[in-house]
Amino acid sequence: MVKTASVTDKPIQLRVFPQRLLQPGTAECLLNEIDQVKGVIRMLLNGKNLPRKVICGPGTGSDVNHPDRTIIHVGGCAFELHIIVGEVLVEVENETAVEEVKKACERALPFSFEFKRGHFIKRRPTLTDYGKYGFKGKYDETLNLDDERLLGLTDPNAKAETHLCMTNTGEKP
Amino acid sequence: MAYKPQYYPGNTSSAKNRRKHMSNDLEKMRDISDEDLTAILGHRAPGSDYPSTHPPLSEMGEPDDPVREVVEPTPGAAAGDRVRYVQFADSMYNAPATPYFRSYHAAINFRGVDPGTLSGREVNEMRERDLEEFSKRVCETEITDWGLAGMRGCTVHGHSLRLQEDGTMFDMLDRRRLEGGVIVMDKDQVGVPIDRKVNLGKPISEAEAAKRTTMYRVDNVPFRSDKEVVEHVQKVWELRTRYGFQPKA
Repeated sequence: MVKTASVTDKPIQLRVFPQRLLQPGTAECLLNEIDQVKGVIRMLLNGKNLPRKVICGPGTGSDVNHPDRTIIHVGGCAFELHIIVGEVLVEVENETAVEEVKKACERALPFSFEFKRGHFIKRRPTLTDYGKYGFKGKYDETLNLDDERLLGLTDPNAKAETHLCMTNTGEKP
Repeated sequence: MAYKPQYYPGNTSSAKNRRKHMSNDLEKMRDISDEDLTAILGHRAPGSDYPSTHPPLSEMGEPDDPVREVVEPTPGAAAGDRVRYVQFADSMYNAPATPYFRSYHAAINFRGVDPGTLSGREVNEMRERDLEEFSKRVCETEITDWGLAGMRGCTVHGHSLRLQEDGTMFDMLDRRRLEGGVIVMDKDQVGVPIDRKVNLGKPISEAEAAKRTTMYRVDNVPFRSDKEVVEHVQKVWELRTRYGFQPKA
C-alpha cells in the first residue's frame, strides 16, 4: 500500500500579537518563556525588516546599523534578529500547552496582547513542496524532508541557515 | 470689520487643532539651530553657499509683465536657488499632524510651495532657502512631535505600524531614536550619517499627544462626536455631487 499522508496529527496554532513592536530584550524574554512551555513544537517570528544597508533613495548603500538588529539567545541557541518582532506564531501539541503559552506571554509582556487560535503556519506540504523535495520512495509518497516542522517557517527563497534556529533537536514531538 | 478666516468647523479638540495648524497659530516646542536643520535636511553642507540653478532675478533682466510687478518673488526664487524637498511621515497613533493638514499648513501660510499629499507621508518642494525657513517652522513647533513623526526623504514605512515599546514610531533606517529621554537624529532624511547628533527635544506623552492631535479616532475623539464637522463634510459631499451631476439636454 502506498503511504500518502505526510502529516497526520493536528497540532494547535496560536498567534501572539502584542500592543507594541517588541525590542530585542522583550522579544528574547518572551521567546524563552514560550520555549520553556512543554508541548511547543515550533515558533515563527513576524515583523518589519531591519535592513543592513539603505536599499533605496539617494542614500542607497549607506550602513543602517539599527540597534534592534542584534543577537538574542533562545533556548541556548543564539541568532541575529533581522526584524523588529511584531507577532509570534506558536504551534503546540495540546490544550494544556495553550494555557501555558498564554501565561508565559502574560509573564513576559509588560503590555496587553492579542491571543488567538487559528491557522497561521503551513500544516501540510503543498504541491510546490513536493516539487522541491520529492517523495521519499516509490511506495512512500511522504515528503522527502527529514523534519517536516521546517515547512512554512521561512520564505521560499530565504536561506534556511540564517532564518532557522533549532533548539532541543534531540526531542521530536 | 476685517475678514477673519474660519478655516475649519467643529468644537472638539481635534477640530481646534486643525484650525491651529491651518492658521499657523502654533506653539513653539523646541529650538533647532540652522546648522542642525541644514544637516538633517541633507541638501547641502552646513555653512556652505546655496547652489543655484539660475542667476538672481535682479540680474536676469526679466521682460515687462504686470503679474511679475504685482507678485514679489520669494527669497529663494529671487536668488535662483535649486528646488529641494522635505518629507514627513506621521504616525496614526495620535501624531499631531496628518498629511492633509501639513499640506493645508504649507499651502495657506507659505508661498512658492508645492505640497504633495499621500496616505502616510507629505512632501513639500520649494526653493532651498524657502524650504529651510518652512522646515524650521515645522520642526520647531507643535505640528511635529519627533516621537510620533519623522523627517523621512525615503523609506517612510512606519506611519501605520504599532508604536515601538518606547512609544516612538518605527524607523527602518534608524534616522532618529530615543536616547536619554530625548529624540536624537544622527542621519539626514535619506539615511546618510551626518557628523553630529541633533537634539530634537523630548517627545510628548501619550496623554498630551491625544490632546494635540488633529486626528479623529474612536479611542480618542470620535469623528461622529463633532456634529458641526459631520454636517460640514456632508454639505461638501452634497455640493460636490450636485456640481458633478450635469444633466444633458
